[in-house]
Amino acid sequence: MNVRKAVSMSLAVAAVAAASACGSSGGTTTVTQTAAGGNPSDKSVLVGAGSTFVAPLVQQWEADYVKSPAAVTITYGAIGSGGGIDQITARTVDFGASDAPLSSDQATACKGCIQIPWSLGAVAITYNVKGVPNKLHLTGPVLADIFMGKISSWNDPAIAKLNPGVNLPDTHITPVYRSDGSGTSFAFTDWLTKVSPDWASNVGTSTQPPFPTGTGAEHSSGVVAAVQATDGAITYVDLAYVQANGLNYALLQNAAGNYPEPGTKSVLAAATVGTKNPDGSISLVNPPASAADAYPDATFTYVIVPQSSPKASTLKAFLEYAVGPKGQAFGPDLGYPKLPSSIVASDQALIAKIGS
Amino acid sequence: MTTESPTLHEPMGARRRWRFGDVVLQGIAGLAAVGLAALMVLLVIEVVRQAKPALQEFGAAFLTTSVWNTVKDTYGAADLIFGTLVTAGVALLIAVPLAIAIGLFLSELAPRALRTPVGTMVELLAAIPSVVLGLWGILILGPFLNEHVEPFMIDHLGFIPFLDGFPSPVGLLPACLILTLMVVPIVASISRELFTSVPGELKHGAMALGATRWEMVRGVAIPQVTGGLVAAVMLGFGRAVGEAIAVAQVIGGSLTRPESLYAPADTMAIRLAAQYQGTATSLQKASLAYLAVILLVISLITNLVAQVIVRRHQRRLGHR
Repeated sequence: MNVRKAVSMSLAVAAVAAASACGSSGGTTTVTQTAAGGNPSDKSVLVGAGSTFVAPLVQQWEADYVKSPAAVTITYGAIGSGGGIDQITARTVDFGASDAPLSSDQATACKGCIQIPWSLGAVAITYNVKGVPNKLHLTGPVLADIFMGKISSWNDPAIAKLNPGVNLPDTHITPVYRSDGSGTSFAFTDWLTKVSPDWASNVGTSTQPPFPTGTGAEHSSGVVAAVQATDGAITYVDLAYVQANGLNYALLQNAAGNYPEPGTKSVLAAATVGTKNPDGSISLVNPPASAADAYPDATFTYVIVPQSSPKASTLKAFLEYAVGPKGQAFGPDLGYPKLPSSIVASDQALIAKIGS
Repeated sequence: MTTESPTLHEPMGARRRWRFGDVVLQGIAGLAAVGLAALMVLLVIEVVRQAKPALQEFGAAFLTTSVWNTVKDTYGAADLIFGTLVTAGVALLIAVPLAIAIGLFLSELAPRALRTPVGTMVELLAAIPSVVLGLWGILILGPFLNEHVEPFMIDHLGFIPFLDGFPSPVGLLPACLILTLMVVPIVASISRELFTSVPGELKHGAMALGATRWEMVRGVAIPQVTGGLVAAVMLGFGRAVGEAIAVAQVIGGSLTRPESLYAPADTMAIRLAAQYQGTATSLQKASLAYLAVILLVISLITNLVAQVIVRRHQRRLGHR
């Protein structure tokens, strides 16, 4: 009996020691799954995790904000939107980031989380086909058929019709998708669901959609690597990633029938006609034909914070910075337009709720 | 512990001097052993607890359903079990004859000077971290299969249903071959030990009766070690079923059952690793835990069966 007692005692002691070691080291290391907590009392560090879509922008903020008078270190782990939602729900980070708004299931689990749109951007279509030039024209329904396997070769009449004069090879099409929970997947499938009834009934919208064909890869870097390794591959990824790596991208037809360049101008054009959902998120996909130059597949990306947090004041100051002129100034060079002023105003009202 | 009487050759003083050390040793060693056993039990309990919603929702039908749909929130493991069994099965199909041949060569046939260096190299293959093997799969093996092997197989073997399709640098075939490389050293080094353990008088006796080397191997050596070989294959199977990293690097990943040996696929271990972080629904998380339960059961059974076979084999050798 004594031995058993001793065993359970020392197991408990070991567990406590391990937990406290995690807690104190969390602030200084980069984010991993468990060592992300940070010391709750240490207000000079904010730890976040989530969206790979917004990661290039947050990295700029990290570098700038630590030098600002606030002198707060931001540590951000680009683990994917689904992971970000998980981490903030478990409160292992100070903020989560996701391009997909919380589902009602997730919002309940997150217990009093506020989601604040803090940037926006385009979902680009990139491809690697020997002999096919940059800026191929594609439409939502054609992309839906490609990702459902109904169009399986690059010289399919449906693609040829959109690209007169382009010599298309008969290469087999390999669709590549995100295998981890991804806000980019959400924005992409949200668009396809709205423009293709076939897609809506067979696949639908999700952060981990049930793609009927193709190859899965993890994170933006994974899908891009898979596309670069495979002749005939196509995928969806945030525009910032395409620009940073000089990849081919497709021009996508919008509701007005135009093929706008993906970029800050066309995303902003979509943002001005965005529709607010009941849950407070704002949908930018498939803007109406009245916005003639709007990019058809843009998305807001959200920071998710708990309403009550031991670091409420630090968090508020950082978010004010991020949605404010200084934070937003980093966006355009990376392909993220500055937030429209109406959104900034509603963001500030949301930020004021933190800690209240 | 079984007897309270002092040992005869130790004076009382020496015993007293060592008592403290003995207690410490007993404590540390006992704690380590009991702690690990407790950890194992707790782990199983936790995995089953997490899987409970999925176990209740889908029951045994989970094993035969092939849908994995986060939008409709229904899950089944059939395609993943298929991917797991095909990769592990094909890997064993290639690895086992190869490994037994290597074991035979190293124990019976190779010149003495070759046995140690070649044996060491085979065992070093098992020491390569799987992530490095997977990287080699991405950079060298996958593209090579895609450009040279798969087009050839499609042209010449395409009439066989599962061998038709489109070449791809990622898919089932490279995954099978990477697993083969992982299984070979395990089975080869065990079978070498087994063949070495066959008593020399039996081998020499067979040779003296006029048997050729092959007849000796077939008639004497292999029957002597059959049980051990089966156990070695089981261990290799366990290794192949549970491997996630290297397979994930080359298999491509797919949400549906692959239609050919070259197409991307998925296994239980990979789906678990890729999706657990960032699930869309709580039922999806529970379904992933269900996959972990299946993996646990498979590896538990293979290990137990292997242990039973090895023990029976050892007992037989001991009794003789």
